[in-house]
Amino acid sequence: MRAAGTGMFFDGTSSAKRAVLVELDPEGLVIRDAEERHMLARWPYDQLDHLAAPGGVLRLGRAGAQQLARLEVRDPDLAHKIDDASLPVDRSGAIARRGRMKVVTWSFAAMASLVLGGVYGIPALADRIAPFVPVGVERWLGRAVDGQVRAMLDKGGAGEAFECGSGPGEGAGQAALTKLIGKLEARANLHIPLSAKAVRRGEANAIALPGGRVYVFQGLIDRSERPDELAGVLAHEIGHVAHRDGTRSILQAAGVSFLFGMLLGDFVGGSAVVLGARAVLQKSYSRDVETSADAFSVDLMQRVGADARALGTILNRIAGANHPGMVILRDHPDTKLRVSAINSRVTSTASHPLLEPSEWAALKRICAGR
Amino acid sequence: MTAEALSDAPVQPPPAPVVGARFLGSEPVFWRLLSRGALLLFATLGIYRFWLATDVRRFLWNNTEIAGEGLEYIGTARELLLGFLIAVALLVPLNVAFFLAAFSSGTLGQVAGTLAFAVLAALGQFAVYRARRYRLSRTVYRGIRFHQTGSAVRYAICAIFWWGMIAATLGLAYPFAQASLERYKLRNTFYGDLQGQFDGWGTRLLFRGFLLWLVVVGPFVFGLIVAVGAIDWTALGEALSAGGSDVASRIEAAGVGPALVVAVLAVSWSVLAAALLYPAFQAMLLHWWISGLRFGELTATSGLRMREIYRLYAGFVSYALLAALVFGVGSIIGLVIIGAFESMFGKGIATELLTTAMLIGTYVIVALAYSTIYQATVKVRFWKHAFDTLELSGTEVLERVKAAPTTGSPVGEGLADALNVGGI
Repeated sequence: MRAAGTGMFFDGTSSAKRAVLVELDPEGLVIRDAEERHMLARWPYDQLDHLAAPGGVLRLGRAGAQQLARLEVRDPDLAHKIDDASLPVDRSGAIARRGRMKVVTWSFAAMASLVLGGVYGIPALADRIAPFVPVGVERWLGRAVDGQVRAMLDKGGAGEAFECGSGPGEGAGQAALTKLIGKLEARANLHIPLSAKAVRRGEANAIALPGGRVYVFQGLIDRSERPDELAGVLAHEIGHVAHRDGTRSILQAAGVSFLFGMLLGDFVGGSAVVLGARAVLQKSYSRDVETSADAFSVDLMQRVGADARALGTILNRIAGANHPGMVILRDHPDTKLRVSAINSRVTSTASHPLLEPSEWAALKRICAGR
Repeated sequence: MTAEALSDAPVQPPPAPVVGARFLGSEPVFWRLLSRGALLLFATLGIYRFWLATDVRRFLWNNTEIAGEGLEYIGTARELLLGFLIAVALLVPLNVAFFLAAFSSGTLGQVAGTLAFAVLAALGQFAVYRARRYRLSRTVYRGIRFHQTGSAVRYAICAIFWWGMIAATLGLAYPFAQASLERYKLRNTFYGDLQGQFDGWGTRLLFRGFLLWLVVVGPFVFGLIVAVGAIDWTALGEALSAGGSDVASRIEAAGVGPALVVAVLAVSWSVLAAALLYPAFQAMLLHWWISGLRFGELTATSGLRMREIYRLYAGFVSYALLAALVFGVGSIIGLVIIGAFESMFGKGIATELLTTAMLIGTYVIVALAYSTIYQATVKVRFWKHAFDTLELSGTEVLERVKAAPTTGSPVGEGLADALNVGGI
């Protein structure tokens, strides 16, 4: 006598419920109508699909079947026998646990690879792609960024032009700046012509945008004591242009927001991880970029025969009390480290004056007029 | 049970007039499932979410019995993951386009943000409908699937229109929006070959909810009108355009001070009232929705108790307070660790990274913990109460349903997941 018991059967084509007799054949389950005893289904043991059900119910389906026929067994004895006979039936949950472990392992691997991609992959990819961005696209990006930057910086105080050098009494200063830039640009081998302008902003700073635009702030000119100091900073900004850093940082920002915004962190509280990872990663990219722009400045200054150490001097002067807070959230490396890196890269000390004293005096007054 | 069913099978059992439903899931099991899921979400930065969502649905569906037979969820995490990857692939060009549009000069650049919001909102509604289709097609009852027809585009257009109306009428259009959208959804919902139908009326929900609306939105509108009326607009305009050093005092004279007080009071009242009355609103909405459900001759009524809904929110609040206590102690320990680390290694990059990681980690753990508590108290108990109090009549129609030939989409609710609009 074969082992047998009773159960409930849904054949998957209609919702009618049937009481059935379940027999355990050597190859599989035989499901028969409880009354008329004709066979309704024969399910091989290795094709049984163990489905989740409330406690006390063993719910089975047939794996890979088009119709969702269901057998429900409430008799613990029969359930136990089916469990023993069939490999996929897993009432202890061991198969599910093993599958779960696999998922967890792969999830960890995926997360690790995405994080590594963020730290190393994105900057490397941006480095490779940036040189292939056509000059036209770079110019277009430059124009767009320029609009935003100007909207941010140009406070339009009392009828003053934002740009210096065009007002009365500023022409000589503009000529000096053009000469200084020209000397540097001539030896810089740029892929795109520079367009540098002095602007009325009090901070001691200069910025480079995609497409060869450089803005020198009035505050920087005021605090430069020698032409070489200003030239060192300009050479640093030219380094950004030569390395296409503006384009690169846009590519990096897009890459980081794709990785962390779309693929990872889509859960409650995940936005904090995304924001934190973005901030720390992008600032770390930015610090690398600044270091290589410093190196470019040193090399360019030496090529034009100027004092490459002057960049370190002015950095020390303007560093002052700025940059409080965390190192990992700064976009520039520590000034001391920068200056020592600059000084150790300098090989020649010969210094030809870049500007005549009168030209320098005029340049200092480039934003003096109205 | 077996013997009884055996004898019932050959002849049609006499249909009981009212049949119920029940939820058999055990809360400790759900807690375990959720806490393990939260840990893995944290450790895998969210990649685990597809598996957790599938586990949660399987727990809720498969422990639910309607008219004596179990509901089943047969979706898999793999389908969700695949759907998500496809959606990401589709969204990337869109995001790139918005990214570039934001950079372009002129009007395009200025409206890019608004445009992106509008497109994503429409896509979100589209995704909601598609996600519902996926969930229905993975829901099995008595060996027969549910499915959904209808156009997600049409649904998205209707939904956007109705949400606009809701905003324009300060919420008064909400009952009609719900009635219209639910009618569309249920008309396109099938259990096998049995078509669903929604018989709820917007006016009915409006009558029931009008008092709630009055209490929450009324003072807000009143406060706004009073505030606007109290300000002497001509004087304010003159004060602003004249400029000079005494602008502040002249703005004061225009009556902005009292108006501001009234506005702040009105808004705080509305926020407080909304928070306190939200459970009542939820209970009312679900009650109305269940009473409107039809599948052929099958009709449903709900014995849902508002008191129960408030009780389960009270459960959430007490667990949340307990968790706050634990986190308070935990953050003190964290500060001590950071302090010790700093005194040992100084203020280096390592200390900073540790501090940042601990800060972000704490935030994520707290957020995950509250989400877990919410699901284990409010969500599952709400589900249980809704099913336990469900009363069905005309259930004999459930014996005669034929399977429909359609099967659902093989990929999961990707877009909904990528856009973060997925439900349970």
